[in-house]
Amino acid sequence: MRISTFFYALGQGFRNLLRNRWFALASIATITTCLFMFGVFYSILLNFRHIVATIEEGVSITVFFEPGTSEEIMLQRKVEIEERPEVSEVVYISAEEAWDSFKGDYLGEYAEGFTENPLEDSANLEIYLADVAHQAELVDFVEEMEEVREVNYSAMTADTLTGANRLIAYISVGLIVLLFAVSLFLISNTISVGIAVRREEITIMKYVGATDFFVRAPFVIEGLLIGLVGSAIPLGLTYVLYNKVLEYIAAHFPSLSGLVTFLPDKTVFATLVPICLIMGVGIGFLGSMFSVRKHLRV
Amino acid sequence: MRKKTVMAIPEGNVITLQNVYKTYEQGVSALNGVSLDIKQGEFVFIVGETGSGKSTLIKLLLRELTATEGDVNVLGYDLGTIRRGRIPKFRRNLGIVFQDFRLLKDRNVYENVAFAQRIVLEPAANIRRNVSEVLAMVGLADKYKMKTSQLSGGEQQRVALARALVNRPLILLADEPTGNLDPEKSWEIMQLLEKVNEGGTTVIVVTHNQEIVDRMNKRVITMKMGSILSDVDMGGYEVED
Repeated sequence: MRISTFFYALGQGFRNLLRNRWFALASIATITTCLFMFGVFYSILLNFRHIVATIEEGVSITVFFEPGTSEEIMLQRKVEIEERPEVSEVVYISAEEAWDSFKGDYLGEYAEGFTENPLEDSANLEIYLADVAHQAELVDFVEEMEEVREVNYSAMTADTLTGANRLIAYISVGLIVLLFAVSLFLISNTISVGIAVRREEITIMKYVGATDFFVRAPFVIEGLLIGLVGSAIPLGLTYVLYNKVLEYIAAHFPSLSGLVTFLPDKTVFATLVPICLIMGVGIGFLGSMFSVRKHLRV
Repeated sequence: MRKKTVMAIPEGNVITLQNVYKTYEQGVSALNGVSLDIKQGEFVFIVGETGSGKSTLIKLLLRELTATEGDVNVLGYDLGTIRRGRIPKFRRNLGIVFQDFRLLKDRNVYENVAFAQRIVLEPAANIRRNVSEVLAMVGLADKYKMKTSQLSGGEQQRVALARALVNRPLILLADEPTGNLDPEKSWEIMQLLEKVNEGGTTVIVVTHNQEIVDRMNKRVITMKMGSILSDVDMGGYEVED
């Protein structure tokens, strides 16, 4: 493509936008609304995932062994468990460490009265999971080991977190599909109107010997521009809103900040900006291509 | 100006139709075995009553339609087998003028003509010169800034003619170019077409205008019910409308 052709198509694309401005504005407004909704949901979901992930890190399974199991065997089991993909970390806590910890937490100076370690058989493995969804499998695996006496875990925490994660995924996918459908329809409609308005011009272009590309390019560029503007506006809005909300929470709910941490705007927008731009421009491109292919068999 | 690449033209003919039939999807038969040759540099009138097949013939020459049967060869391009991607290149050799002018009403005279140059990707530096030249030729050099809606019918047709000529076509097709004009303006347009023809361009004019056909004294192809009724050099208008 020649540079002059590119600028011609760009100029004509802008011209189409202006001539067709009410339809174009309606399309931009719809994409803006959809992508703004997406941006808000995405920010919430990303933070929710972050909070869930923080909680997940704290979820552990404790494995106790039959009395008399040697430390060597326990360490061997530790290695076997560590090799599983859903496991992020396994910590071996010897009977002495368990007792020291217990003393420190609950007994304090009263511990002086104990001459032997009452938690002699309490050496254990603390397992931290990379993915709580696989907790049940891991528990089954560990319980099959013959030296294992007891496995302590919370099925409810794992199920809740897994469920929440799945819900997040479903909402995201549903939202994206809906957004795509509505926006595609609107852009495609806007371009069709533009083509109808310029039917006469297109006929003349055809007679003079314009290539398909030359006739179609301005309409595709019009779609791209609608998509680009329709994604830039909600990104700006979401950015301002996100920071306002974080400021508001910090100012009005200081107690919350001790419990959960929110992602900084940079982390959220590092992925949100490319996703929104790709979606906006992609919808613009696809929407205009549908119309152009349907109405411009030149 | 751009160099034209034209394939071998059979025996000096720019247009050759051999036993061409055109039947529309609804079963309407528009052309019934038309054969004709038009040589380079000829000035030809195609006359005939409404429904005689004139418009279909023009559409076949523009490759807007394809023949149901027979061969249509224009400037060495076999229009029955030409690939879709090559059609724009083929059309750049043709200039076309319509009865209703088909100008872009939102643009001025200059833009309407320059539009045709942009489409064929003429370098920007040449466009201004070429458009000025052709506007001077049709007598509109001083009206280049005017909106086409401000012009008279005759002037609008001159703009359309300038647009058709600016890319230096080898063949100029004019479909009822004087249909919307009074006799005086019609005659002016015909004189311009003659001037174009004198420059070497093959000119084909479809018309109902008996007075003009008789006065111009050119080759006249008369059509009736999809067939060629007569083909006379230096002929006159013989159709009973």
